[in-house]
This record gives sequence, C-alpha cells and structure tokens, in this order.
Amino acid sequence: MNAIDTAIRAAAADIKLIGVTKAYDAQTVVIPPMDVELRAGEFTVVLGPSGCGKSTLLQMIAGLERVSDGKIMVGGREVQDLEPKRRGCAMVFQNYALYPHMTVFENMAYSLKVAGVRKAERAARVAAVARMLALSDYLTRKPGQLSGGQRQRVAIGRAIVREPNVLLFDEPLSNLDAQLRHDMRVELSELHRRIGATSIFVTHDQVEAMTLADRILILNKGRIEQFDTPKAIYHHPASVFVAKFIGAPPMNILPVTGDGSVLRLADGQIVAEARLTGSYQLGIRPEDIIVGIKADGHAVRAVLRFREDLGSHSVLAADLAGSVIRIATPFGADLINQPELFLNLPAARLHLFDAETGRATCRAFAAQ
Amino acid sequence: MSSDSTLFSNRWLPVLLVAPMMLLIALFFYVPIFQAFYWSFFLERPFGGGSEFVGLDNFARVLADPEFWKAGWRTIIFMVTASSLAVLVPLILAVAADRKIRLSLPARNVLVWPKGVAGASIGVVFAFIFNPFVGILAPLNSIFPGIWAPGINGTDAFITLIAAHVWGGIPFNFVILLAGLQSIPRTMHQAAAMDGAGPWRRIFDVQLPLIMPQLFLTLVLEFTESVTSAFALIDTITNGGPGGATTLLVYKIYMDGFSGYDLSGASTQTAILMVFVIILTAAQFIFLGRRVNYER
Amino acid sequence: MVENARSLNIIASLILVVGMIYILGPLYLTLSTASQSYEFMLRNGLAWYPGDQFLANMASIFTETRIPIQMLNSMVVAFSNAAATCVLSFLSAYAIVYFRIRWAGVVFALILATIMLPLDIRVITTYQVASNIFSPLNAVLDATGLNGLIAGIFGTPVQLELSVLNTHFGLVAPLVAHGTGTFLFRQFFLTLPKDLFKAARMDGAGPTRFLFDILLPLSRTSFAALFVLTFLSGWTQYLWPLVGASTPDMQTAVVGLARLVPDSDGQVPDFPMIMAGAVIVSIIPLAMIALLQRYLVQGLVLSEK
Repeated sequence: MNAIDTAIRAAAADIKLIGVTKAYDAQTVVIPPMDVELRAGEFTVVLGPSGCGKSTLLQMIAGLERVSDGKIMVGGREVQDLEPKRRGCAMVFQNYALYPHMTVFENMAYSLKVAGVRKAERAARVAAVARMLALSDYLTRKPGQLSGGQRQRVAIGRAIVREPNVLLFDEPLSNLDAQLRHDMRVELSELHRRIGATSIFVTHDQVEAMTLADRILILNKGRIEQFDTPKAIYHHPASVFVAKFIGAPPMNILPVTGDGSVLRLADGQIVAEARLTGSYQLGIRPEDIIVGIKADGHAVRAVLRFREDLGSHSVLAADLAGSVIRIATPFGADLINQPELFLNLPAARLHLFDAETGRATCRAFAAQ
Repeated sequence: MSSDSTLFSNRWLPVLLVAPMMLLIALFFYVPIFQAFYWSFFLERPFGGGSEFVGLDNFARVLADPEFWKAGWRTIIFMVTASSLAVLVPLILAVAADRKIRLSLPARNVLVWPKGVAGASIGVVFAFIFNPFVGILAPLNSIFPGIWAPGINGTDAFITLIAAHVWGGIPFNFVILLAGLQSIPRTMHQAAAMDGAGPWRRIFDVQLPLIMPQLFLTLVLEFTESVTSAFALIDTITNGGPGGATTLLVYKIYMDGFSGYDLSGASTQTAILMVFVIILTAAQFIFLGRRVNYER
Repeated sequence: MVENARSLNIIASLILVVGMIYILGPLYLTLSTASQSYEFMLRNGLAWYPGDQFLANMASIFTETRIPIQMLNSMVVAFSNAAATCVLSFLSAYAIVYFRIRWAGVVFALILATIMLPLDIRVITTYQVASNIFSPLNAVLDATGLNGLIAGIFGTPVQLELSVLNTHFGLVAPLVAHGTGTFLFRQFFLTLPKDLFKAARMDGAGPTRFLFDILLPLSRTSFAALFVLTFLSGWTQYLWPLVGASTPDMQTAVVGLARLVPDSDGQVPDFPMIMAGAVIVSIIPLAMIALLQRYLVQGLVLSEK
C-alpha cells in the first residue's frame, strides 16, 4: 500500500437497518419493514428488477429520501433524521450528475469547499484522487468535454475525495457500453480493495452483482428474497424468484408431485426419488442437465424445439411435460438431427421449492 | 438537415410555401428598414412635397439636437434599470416557485396573467393607481404634500413606468426561467446535497449557473423589448412628461413623425436606433453568449 | 430529501405572496373602482372595496363609447393575426426543414432577423409602406429605368397606388411579418424523429400527403400554443393599431381604452368608467389565459428554444 492509498483510506462503518419502511400511503408501500446488517468494509450489491425498491433503499440510506419508519445506524450512530452531508455517505449517480459548469477539479473539490477545507488541502486531496483514477490530465476540462468512462471516473472521484465511511452507487455502470462496463467493474473492485469503504451498489445486472459483491442482497417488491454470498446465491437460491433471477439462461422450474417415494412431472415421468408428498416446484440449472440420446435410468424424455449455438456452448430448448426446458451443453454435433432427447437430472443438482410460497424447502436430496 | 437524399426535392413547391411569409416580411420588415436608412439621406417633405438628397445633413441635424441625446440617454437608463428589474423580479419569483411549497401552483398560474393585459391597458390602470390625487399614494401626499408627484417630478414618472413595465414583463421571463429551473435534473440537487450544499447554497452554486442560458436569453430579449414596449406605457401614463422627462427615443420618433411631420428626422432617428439595437444584441452575444453554453 | 429547508420555504412563500399581490393588486383595484361611482372616487380616491355601480359603468361604456365595435375590431385583428401566423409560419417552416433547397438557411436567417427589430421601432416607415403597398414596386420601376421606357411607349409611367391603412388587412399584415412562428415550428420539426420522414417516404407519401397525414396531426399542440400566443399579442398591440387606423370605428379596443383618458390635465377623469373599460377590454384575453394556460406556457417555452 502506497502513500496515496493511505491518504484517502476511509474508516469504514457498519450499517444496520432496523425496521426501515417506505410507504407513500397505506396502499403504496414501497418497502415493508426491513431489517438488515452490512458489515464494515463490505461490498454489498443490492440486486432486483426495476421497481423493486432498491434505489429507494439506497436513497434512504443516503438521506435523499425520508424513511417512513424505522432506524438507520451507520457506525453505531442513528442517522435517519440527519441531513445527507452529516451521514458520512458519498454517492455515485447513474447519470453521473456532474456539475456541467464546473471543471473536473471543481467538481471533485466542491464538497471539500462546502465543508470549508482550506484551498491547499483541497488541491492536494483532489490531486491524490485524480492520480489514483488517472484523471490528472483532465482536471481543467469541463464534463462536457469528457468521454463516458472519464465522466464515470470523475463521479467516483468526487465521491471518494471526501473519504466517506460509506460509498453508495446507484446503477453507475448502466450508461456505459459493454467493454467499458467490464473495465469499470474491474477498476471498481480494485478501488474497493484499496480504499475499503463500506460500499452499497445498486444494480439490476446480475453479472455486476456476481463479480463485485462480497454479499448480494436480492430484493423483490421491497422484500429481501436472499442476502448471501454470490456463490451461495447461485448454488442455493432461497426462492424460485432468486433461482430465476440469477444465471443466464435462468434456472428451469418444473412443477412436480411427490407420492411418498418418487417425484413425477406433470406428464407422469419420474424425475427423482424422494420421500415427499404433495406439489413442489423443481429447479435445475441448464448447465446441470446431462443430455443423452438413449433412455437410461431416470432419464426423462423431451422433444427438442431449437438450439442456439453460442460458440463456446449451445443452448437447447426442449418441450418437457408441457413446459419449456433449457439445457446448456458443450458442442454436440450428433444432437442436431435428434428430435428426441433424454435428459438426466442429477439428484445432487436439483432444487426443490414450495409450490405455494416459492421458498426453498429443506435439502430434500442431500441425504441421497 | 444534411444533404441526405431523403428530403423532398421539388423545385417550385418550397418557393410557393415560403412565398406568402417572405412577401409579408419583405414588404413590412425589409422595405421599411431600407426606407428608414434611405430617407435618412434625403430631406422628405410631408404631403408628397418631393424629396431632395442631402447626404449626411439629417444625421448632423439629429446629432446636434440636444433633445435627441437626452432621449437617447433616457432610453439607455430605462433599458438598463427596467430590463434588469424585469429579469431579476421574475428570477426571484421563479426560484421561489420552483420549490415544492403549497403556494407554488397558484403562483405559477397567477403570474402569467399580465400576458393578457395590453401594455396600454395596464398603463391606463397604473396611471390611475399612481395618480397623485386619487391614487394609492394620495393619502401619503396629504400628509407630506408633494412627496409623490409624477406629474411634476420626472423621477416619480420614471418609477411609475418601470413598475408598469416590470408588471407586464413578468409572464414571459417567469415562464422561461422557471422552465429552466425545472429542467435541472433532480440528481443534480441530490449530488449537491450529498456534497454538503444546503438549499440556500444550491441556489447560487447549482441552480443559477445552470439556468445561465435562459437568463441570458431573457436579458437579450428584454433589452430590445424595453426599448420598444415603453411606447404604450409612455403614451398612456406620462405622455413623455413631465417636461420631457420620460420621452424615450421611440416616443420621440413617434412625436416627430406623426405630430411634427418631420419624416426625415424621424427616419434618421429610427435608423440610428436600429443600428443601436443591432449592435447591442450582437455585443451581448459576443461578450455573454459564449460563456453560458455548455453541454449538460 | 432529509434536510431543513424551512427558512428558505417560508421566504419563498412570502416572495410568492408579494409577487401575486403585485400582479393581482392592480387588477383588483381596477375591478373595485369599476364598481364605484364617479362621486365616490372623487370623495375617497381609489376604491379598496367593490361598490354597486359596476353595471352602470359598464352600461356607459356600451352606450357612450365606441368600445363595443372596437372589441369587434380587436377580435378580427387578434384572430386573423393568430390564424395567418399559424398557417404561414407552418408552411414556411415546412419548406425550410423538409425540402432540399440550397437557400433554406438564408431564408430562415431573413425570417429570424425580424425578431431583432420589433414593429414599434420601424413604425414610421412601415406606416409609409402601408399607405401605398405598391410604393416599393414603383420605386423599383423608377430606379431601374423601366418606368421611363413604359412612359415612352404608353405616354405615362406606372404609378400604382393602394393604401391598406384603416383596413383590417393593414392592421394585421405587419403583425404577421414576424419570425417567431416559423422558428417555433422549425424547432418542433427538428425534434421529430427523422425516421418518421423516411418511413412516410417509403410508404410513398409525397409532400402534400406527408403534410396533411403526418405533420399536421403531430403539430396540433404547437398550433394551439402559437395560436394562443399570437392571439394575445394581436389583442394587446398598441402603437401599430394607433397609427394604422385613423377612424375610431377601425381602431382596436386597447387604443379606444387609452383614448378614453382625456389628454388635458383639467378635472379628474371618470376613472370608474375607464376602469370598467379596462375590465371589458382585458376580459377576453384573461379568460383565454385562464382556460388555455397550458398552451400559453408551452408556447412561451417553445418560442425560446
């Protein structure tokens, strides 16, 4: 760690939300009471479809929206009634929100100027951050003269120059093209490792979530579906919603019924042995399905609809018991002319969800 | 649009389409302007008495007339005071109306009403309201006799004119400036709030700099406007008085031309006024215009 | 936002209250004085509260002045100004934006320049042109020597004469010769997606079809905005109708209202009656603003961009 890093290394703070609620009136509840705890220095990604309340959540932590009820603790301090500037948070906005009439330097120095930091120190701190973000050559330019990636860096620089305890990101990469987005992701991880501020990153992009997060918080209609590491979320989705939201193509979900010894699909084919009765939803990831062309063991019969060749692998779509099932498979030229497929669904890779609530049930297959 | 082949390529249809507008503009805009300059070199006798080329004599006569300089000076004073007030007052109102407060909606409605009241009508009304004997300040006059006397005191008459001018100028400038304020993205306010700037500070650091284009535009238009729109107010409130104290150039030109039948003099002054307005507008664009444009 | 903006909001409210009083005060005093008698006004000065003479004052406006017929003139002038400006501006903007013509830029600049020098500045010579709209033609014939030629052949030079002074056409035409409308439509056309034009051409639409089937329906709100704007502008004109109409029966209501105030400084004028006149003259445009505010605001904003 060099001198620059220590100069702007922030004291990370932990964040606790206790019964935080956002409601505009009795009918429109955006976020029902929520309890969650983010560890100091952790990089949390809040992931969810648009309208799930993830931006609202971020803005309540920032102080840009009022909480309807509940407490927000940052570093052990109750902040929900404090003004944004007194919460120790900084934010990177989706459209950058740079001041178009100020130079890059002025943009980054503005918060320090408002805080009454002396001129010499302002210059030194902006210079340090600019060096770190490779912006030193652009300090006298206006945002209008910068490329998208450079603006993004200025927005980040403006946020970290104050050495905030908490860094908030509101879908900051969504305006960049694919290549730049990838580069910025790498830079952001790097940056987080160096300055170590507690970070909350809101996005609807699962790739960003999987690559950046220490832990992912998945929101659906204002409720927490799951809050866990990327690995756990991928391998042990807590609900059908999470299962379908993560992974591309998403996890296949098939309705099944158990008769106490086996699970059957809607058309009566047996997919697995399990001592369960009643209706369930069975999940399996496309890449976990083993494709064969002959019936063996518990293989189920499906009819190939079409295949998409993606170069590194193919995605097949097949009809199985009235549902469409997707299979990711390495090249298999012999499959092309085979309308009939036999699919093996390994028991260890099956996920079982409650038919009503969509929540994952106990590891039904773990014992086998 | 560029030279793409997708535009219509008819030859005579576009001529036909712009012809009526261009004909009117040529006849009632360019010909009169040309004529004003043309006549300023001729001595024109009223009632078709013929004309005679006199070179720069008209200009010499006008420029030697102290009344012309006085009227010109008054025009500049009126232009500077009236138009800066006519931008400043709507600006303050727009900043206030931009806030989410209960009065904001009714104010946005009421503040455009003057657009429907003619300059001459509000002139008639203000002449009455500020009448020293029966008007709003009449009680003051009965306590301090002569403190408000627009009929005698030139400054009082000037103030009345400015009050009426600002009244009539509110709608346009208010609407333009408010639209500018409302086009500032919400995240800009939020970013400034995160940076620690409170609502007062944001007005000066964020809002005002970001509506510079609108502010510039209203100021440019207001300058031209104040040179000309003053006529209706002067004619209904002061008649150029007292003692010529409110005779601005537009009013003097009108009096010289239509009451004094000095067409050459009026044309010469018109020519000078036009050159002045053009130079002023150009100067504003050169000195101010460049600094206010930036991408958002 | 979580912040304490109370001080600012209180001051903003106060400012708005003062602003509204500034606007509404004169209007209220107009209305209340219009409902008092002349004697009341002589005794008490301007009326802070309404009286019962409103109808009487209105009646005297209708019986003793030319304002009723002048209202009709105002109506004709304002309406024709609005209609003509809308149609002509639309057509010229259409030609400028959608036709491949080399002179489009020049024409647009020539039209736009009209915004810089308002009618009030060039009133003297505009009056001269209006007194004989053929005078430029005559001058051209004289200057080019064509008239000498004609005189040689026909014995007399061509001297056409047609005055539009004291006609409705003469009152309206110089007002229409203004660039705001063309500017507004051009800006609007440029915001429309280019693919719209391309798609229409692919569908085989020619200039007329494109104009009527696509552009016109899309421009409805722009039309409304420009119409409201130019109607108000036509109604509130003063200097041009003052010189352009020489008889009271051709003058507009605003001019008529200003003429109600006697020029001499003798006795106190009959302000209640004059204020009743001001109410009548302003009622139509004010009603228009109240009803069509949306379009007015839109027009003001559009004319700026």
